[in-house]
Amino acid sequence: MQRLTKSWTWLVALVCLGLTSQLWAAPAEKPFAEKKVVLQISDDDASKQTLVLNVASNLVKHYGPDQVDVEIVAFGPGLRLLFADNSNAGRIDNLAENSGVRFSACSNTMKKVTKNLGYEPKLDANATPVSAGVVRILDLVSKGYVLIKP
Amino acid sequence: MQKLHLALAAVLAAGTSLSANATNWLKLQGTEAAGSTDRFKLWGFIQPEYDYTSNSKLPAGPWNGQKAVFNQIGPDLNSSSTFNLRRARLGVRGANFPLDGKTNYFLLFEGGDNGVTKFTDGGSAVAMTDASVTLNYIPHARIRVGQFKYPGEEEGLQAIHVFNYINFTSVTDQLLLERFFDGDGSNTQDENEPVAFGAFRDIGIQVFDWFNWLGMEHTYAAMLGNGSGIDREDNNNEKDYYLYWASEKVFGDSKGARREGWKFLGWYEKGQRSLEFVNGVAGKQDFDRKRYGVGTTFRKGKWRAAAEYIWADGMVLNGTDGGAVPGSRNNADTATASFNISPDGKADGYYLDMGYRVIPRLELDLRYDYLDRVKNQDPNEREFNTWTVGAQWWFNKKTRALVNYEIRDAKAPNFSSSAPPNQILDEVDNRISVQLLAIF
Repeated sequence: MQRLTKSWTWLVALVCLGLTSQLWAAPAEKPFAEKKVVLQISDDDASKQTLVLNVASNLVKHYGPDQVDVEIVAFGPGLRLLFADNSNAGRIDNLAENSGVRFSACSNTMKKVTKNLGYEPKLDANATPVSAGVVRILDLVSKGYVLIKP
Repeated sequence: MQKLHLALAAVLAAGTSLSANATNWLKLQGTEAAGSTDRFKLWGFIQPEYDYTSNSKLPAGPWNGQKAVFNQIGPDLNSSSTFNLRRARLGVRGANFPLDGKTNYFLLFEGGDNGVTKFTDGGSAVAMTDASVTLNYIPHARIRVGQFKYPGEEEGLQAIHVFNYINFTSVTDQLLLERFFDGDGSNTQDENEPVAFGAFRDIGIQVFDWFNWLGMEHTYAAMLGNGSGIDREDNNNEKDYYLYWASEKVFGDSKGARREGWKFLGWYEKGQRSLEFVNGVAGKQDFDRKRYGVGTTFRKGKWRAAAEYIWADGMVLNGTDGGAVPGSRNNADTATASFNISPDGKADGYYLDMGYRVIPRLELDLRYDYLDRVKNQDPNEREFNTWTVGAQWWFNKKTRALVNYEIRDAKAPNFSSSAPPNQILDEVDNRISVQLLAIF
């Protein structure tokens, strides 16, 4: 009976995962990953964009896409990484599609940027808006993610 | 020789694999990476060098026994053996408002000793070579405004700090690296020193972009400029226009100034130059100046190659009087040697260049270039043949040493071998150049 309950739990979890992946365009969290990492980008420095993508890529390469859960949270000046016309868009696409790396864009920063620019910039299709980048990081850390700021 | 030229032209037309760097210079020099560019990026490079010729003197003519201009080291032409700070450049570039990123700027200053500092504003310790703003707002039509390298020949358009040799080919140096004059040199009492320098740059507006089609990257550019040299307003109301097209098969996902690929390019430029003293008579006259050419560049693995053919019509550099250093008096003390220009002269030439990276730190280079100068005027026609053997040693990615040995030959084809013009040209020495380049 206990085994049956466990099987049902797995089944429900799988169905939920499937539904979640249909509802969200971004890759889902990886509940079975051994390592969970949240990468923060909040710098204006353009070289940091390359660095944070390199770190994500290296983590996936080292542990394998199923064994590491990586989310990149962009806020403040670092939000530029997730603008649709960013020159790294190809790499972001590749990391999201082939490695399951998630990208979160801070909505607070978006509001500020929209005010500064006079129009709302288009976000990368792989970016998921979150209410506040720093809150997203805290939530992930409380779930056991390790915060790294390259 | 004529057969050789035709054969080389045919090879060019057939798209030979001979060529240099396969890189999109308009993209690299005129734009910044979208969304990932800093507000301010400081950069530059330093090129100290040493040049040597054996300083053979003029053997004939009114300046017999004096220094030969072609055996002196420019831009000062005072010595045949000299250390020089060829270039020392400092610049900034970036996106002035990174959040937007579609407005880019490029600013570069020169502090070395070369034509830029010697001939700009009558000579100055520091001169501005580039100051431009690029607007990337209109799809398929980026706009660059200011002073910058005009779209044209590969040897002139490429970034000088990735140039594989120390000196330019004769055809590029004499037909495209423009010196601006007030007269044609017919005033026998004036050295006719250049009043401005081109440095492959112009002040104006350029529309350009690139796109991928049929597996190749295609780049176009059209520009309108003063055609009057750098740091200078136009000296007439006529404008120069430039047209450029390049199509490149990019190999793999390589990027940057040494991108792997095979490129074909064609370009055309036309303008008007004003002279105040022509054929011994004072009075302003305007002359057309046209330049056009085709070329190809190739880079793959250890190999790189380049070839270009250039044609010139009007305002062709025509050497100096008697091959003497401008400003020197003749032996009879009746005339001053001057730079000369042929307002109606025609010329053409080409170069073939290849390099092989023997080991990651060492590249061996070989280049041949030919120039037929003022070919439409028998007494003034001169032919230049130069073989350049070179080596480059990389200390690291940003620091390298270059050594060049140029085997130089020139002749006046419409004179006998014993005639004074050929006696003089027989004294063109070979040249040794050694340069250290550090980019930061």
